[in-house]
Amino acid sequence: MINFDNAATTFPKPLSVRRAAAEAIKSFGGNAGRGGHELAMRTSEALYSARETAAGFFGAAPENTVFTLNCTHALNMAIQGVMSEGGHIIISSMEHNSAARPAVALAMKKQVTLSVAEVFPDRERTLESFRRLIRSDTRAVVCTIASNVTGQLLPYKEIGQLCRENGICFIADGAQACGIYDIKLSDGINILCTAGHKGLYGITGTGLLLTDGQYPIKPIMQGGTGSNSLSLFQPSILPDSLESGTPNVIGAVTVGAGINFIGSYGMNRLRTHEEQLCRLFIEGLEGTDGITVYRDAAAEYAPIVSFNIDALGSEETAELLSERGFCLRAGYHCAALAHATLGTKGGTVRFAPSVFNTEEEVRKLVYNVKILKNLPNS
Amino acid sequence: MPSYTYAVKAQRLLRARGYPCRIRRREKTSSKGCGFTVLINGSCDGAERLLTGYAVPYSVRGGGADDDKL
Repeated sequence: MINFDNAATTFPKPLSVRRAAAEAIKSFGGNAGRGGHELAMRTSEALYSARETAAGFFGAAPENTVFTLNCTHALNMAIQGVMSEGGHIIISSMEHNSAARPAVALAMKKQVTLSVAEVFPDRERTLESFRRLIRSDTRAVVCTIASNVTGQLLPYKEIGQLCRENGICFIADGAQACGIYDIKLSDGINILCTAGHKGLYGITGTGLLLTDGQYPIKPIMQGGTGSNSLSLFQPSILPDSLESGTPNVIGAVTVGAGINFIGSYGMNRLRTHEEQLCRLFIEGLEGTDGITVYRDAAAEYAPIVSFNIDALGSEETAELLSERGFCLRAGYHCAALAHATLGTKGGTVRFAPSVFNTEEEVRKLVYNVKILKNLPNS
Repeated sequence: MPSYTYAVKAQRLLRARGYPCRIRRREKTSSKGCGFTVLINGSCDGAERLLTGYAVPYSVRGGGADDDKL
């Protein structure tokens, strides 16, 4: 089995991450931030170390680094938390449903007004889309750094600058970019939301919300935090205000180990490898009639490639590839807006390599895609 | 300290500057209930400046004969 569905979740995980998970299960079985006994303190220390590692990686303060269930959880907290008092919100037309749905839900309740900024291959045109939609009551802009469908990179630094000039909170979705690009809060991001189980190589059930603290985030969930226990009100301090309930310590430890893996392997080396695999895949299919690759010369892309065999449905293609031992995600990738923007009514098949894929594996995939393309019913 | 996160942050800052200290859980670090205390052996004078400089929220509580508590 060859996994090219790493944009959903990276697999396999680095050996160091698997070892960290095993060590966490063995040694960090207390309840972090709650008890004062040795097991609880040891567990708390492990959670803090993971928090500190993640904070350092993204240029945040440890206390402003919040562990979440996944990127969707982080985006919901950010969007609902920042927009709790209403106002106008802008999202891009390439957003994943994790950003689009909470924004639409708030708009449907008439709690906010919502605008969608159209994304173009050209960065300047995209930036202009955002600029034109800004109003006096615009409170937040939500934008993915890299599309989960095509990998298209959005001009997030410029959008951050635009937000800063207009006193708007910039919420960035880093799910497909973090771990591959050196993303920092200082890039103009007020709140960065990302997954722990994708480019950061942690286990599933992990995500991060990192904030510069400039825009308060009203909690969407209340509960036990291990602090201020006599108060019936949620603490206002971070990370406690956004981390109710027992934290996923094992998950957090693996995120820390994953980030350390990226550091030791080298982020540039990692990205270069994945880009090379994408190049090989695209070049392998180039000039083949009946195959569409969704890339535009005017745009820049993270190492993700969407394609279709024109005569087959995207799910059918993925199913046939699965029968041949390849794991690729097809359909709409939980990204209704992005597919509407691309005009891909039948969805696409997504090729998303990780650091563990090889050129040989990509050649095998190209060979099999070409075979499928030539099947009698295609 | 209002939370374990701040307690560990404080402990690491203090230890890095030569303050021997340890964290203990307390049921009443404030009127709001449980939290964590960083116990420092010796004077807290420099420690307070350090924590203030790093925006770590704290309150000073009376210690034992040789202990100051943050």
